Amino acid sequence: MSKVTAFAGVDVGSLGTKTVIMAEGEIIGSAIIRTGINTEENGWNGLNAALENAGLTRDDLAYVVATGYGRISAPYANKTVTEITCHAKGAHYIHPQTKTIIDMGGQDCKAIRLDDDGNVADFAMNDKCAAGTGRFLEVMANVFKVSLDELGPLSLSATEVLPVSSTCTVFAESETVSLLARGEKPENIIVGIHHAISKRVGGMFSRVGVQNDVFFSGGVAKNVGMRKALEEALQIKIVEPRKDPQLAGAIGAAVIAESAWKRGR
Amino acid sequence: MTLQSVELIRKRVAERPAELAEARTNGQKVVGWQGYNLPEELIYALGLIPVRIGAGGDDRLVEIGARYISTKNCVYVRETVGLFAENKDPIVQNTDFLAFDATCLQTYRTAEILEYYFNKEVVVLGVPRNFYWPEAQVYFTKEVEHFTGRLEELSGARLDHDKLAETIELYNRIRGAIVEIYEYQAERERLISWEETYDIIHAGYVLDRKEYLRMLEGTLRELQEAQGRPAPEEEDEARIFISGSVIPPGDKKLIHIINAVGGRIVGDDLWSGLIPYLDVHIGENTVEGVALAYINRTPHGALPYLELETDKRIKRLKELVKNYKAHGVIYHTLRYCDPYSFKAKETKDVLAAEGIPLLEIHTEYSGSDYEAIRTRIEAFVEMLKIRNFETLRN
Ligand code: SF4
Repeated sequence: MSKVTAFAGVDVGSLGTKTVIMAEGEIIGSAIIRTGINTEENGWNGLNAALENAGLTRDDLAYVVATGYGRISAPYANKTVTEITCHAKGAHYIHPQTKTIIDMGGQDCKAIRLDDDGNVADFAMNDKCAAGTGRFLEVMANVFKVSLDELGPLSLSATEVLPVSSTCTVFAESETVSLLARGEKPENIIVGIHHAISKRVGGMFSRVGVQNDVFFSGGVAKNVGMRKALEEALQIKIVEPRKDPQLAGAIGAAVIAESAWKRGR
Repeated sequence: MTLQSVELIRKRVAERPAELAEARTNGQKVVGWQGYNLPEELIYALGLIPVRIGAGGDDRLVEIGARYISTKNCVYVRETVGLFAENKDPIVQNTDFLAFDATCLQTYRTAEILEYYFNKEVVVLGVPRNFYWPEAQVYFTKEVEHFTGRLEELSGARLDHDKLAETIELYNRIRGAIVEIYEYQAERERLISWEETYDIIHAGYVLDRKEYLRMLEGTLRELQEAQGRPAPEEEDEARIFISGSVIPPGDKKLIHIINAVGGRIVGDDLWSGLIPYLDVHIGENTVEGVALAYINRTPHGALPYLELETDKRIKRLKELVKNYKAHGVIYHTLRYCDPYSFKAKETKDVLAAEGIPLLEIHTEYSGSDYEAIRTRIEAFVEMLKIRNFETLRN
């Protein structure tokens, strides 16, 4: 059997480490693991899990690109690239007509506008407050005693949108507790939370100018309720991704790995 | 490799406080000044020693300053107040009195605070909001005349016409030399970096002005001699222009980050950088001539836009970006620096129309946002490099 020339993209985020293995432009393996405290170890673990998924070993890897906040501690990588550039490449790979990316990750959220070639034309980032991040939603899920994955489907069964005014994690948590104590239905509060976040991040997205097609990436993109709230708040239609949107950064990193290897750098 | 003349300039800056102390024991007076529209020539021509004060990048001093000035003031003025409150800075310690202008109301407020809490004698120069009206020119001329009168009172000297003419000549030559050095730092040969040029500018805040001119001319000679050195590969270069709020001596965060992620700074229009030295055309060697020349320079960001399309500051920014062949602009805004923060979006839009990308970095002097800023700047540098690569390929 001829040897596979494979490329890896490792996206070490604050909550999850996402890894993608590619060969000849196709995704042949991937893994999403929970990020632990040792940044470097997360990268290695993610890489090993994705290689196992692809049925390959480290010897098959020609080039590795690390991204995400953990990229600063990635001795396994040949190159590091920011998550902004990687998300752009990843979204373009998944949906080539993408012009705007809304990325909601574990600890920040970004709006990225792309040119026709899938390169970054402009971006804005919010990492000063937790609004619009996986961490915020995780805290909220705890209040409702449900898993993060259940938040989105629950919100779709809401009968009304209860206004939640705070997007500060601490205040939103106490506001939610008060609403529950008042006897409000959890699903109505959850949809209110999604709407509050959409409004909060809407200003940032309009600063880069939202253009169609809009791609929603990052772990929060799996939340159908958040997606619906964003569509309503920003008056946009978000494309249906043909790949897991949480993998977008890692896919972009793998795409960059392949082209860097071909360019000999 | 650092030029010998640059090393000498740095050495002389370190030796300067002792010289100022000695000059004061010999009866000379040192004037600490701050403000964009304050004509330093007038201080010098009166036989006073001008030193431009203000520093950045020290969160500890910002905290000390905030005991006297509101935390809603920008970190730069808070640190300036901190310098006086702590009173350990050897330049600040050696000032006899102060001169501030009211271009930015926050520096004006600093002057009030320094008078109120630290009993400093501060001469304040009023500045009109709209520079383009004839009435504003009359007002500013009167203000500069009044300012000169106050300096005369405090120094006990009278402004002498010949001394003013000689001073204007000296300052014109300083400005000319700085502009020439700026051209060199943007060249491919990299005989001198922007960072070194920036240090040279800051050296001029404290050094004796005649010696400073000699040193600038020495740097220019060294640069001329070094010409012809092979230029480094141009591939993979992201040439960055810096605009926005002041980046005073000591504030290295943004500069370090740009360098760390592979960007190359090739120009600026900062108040603490090149812009005060540009477009100073003094017609008559009189106080009025100096006042009119200052009012006709590129205005500071604290002064309102009148018409976005014809605004001199935006126009000059576009020209400088092109002159230094920058690929993009990093627009630096300090927290609570309203003059520059408020104008970020429109500056971005105007430049975008010319195909010049702009990244706004909003920061202060603490190090807590270092990684967040690094990610943004790194992504911006990646974006510029990819653009350049695509342009070269097509
Ligand atoms: S222009 Fe901005 S940085 Fe400069 S003094 Fe005014 S508020 Fe502070």
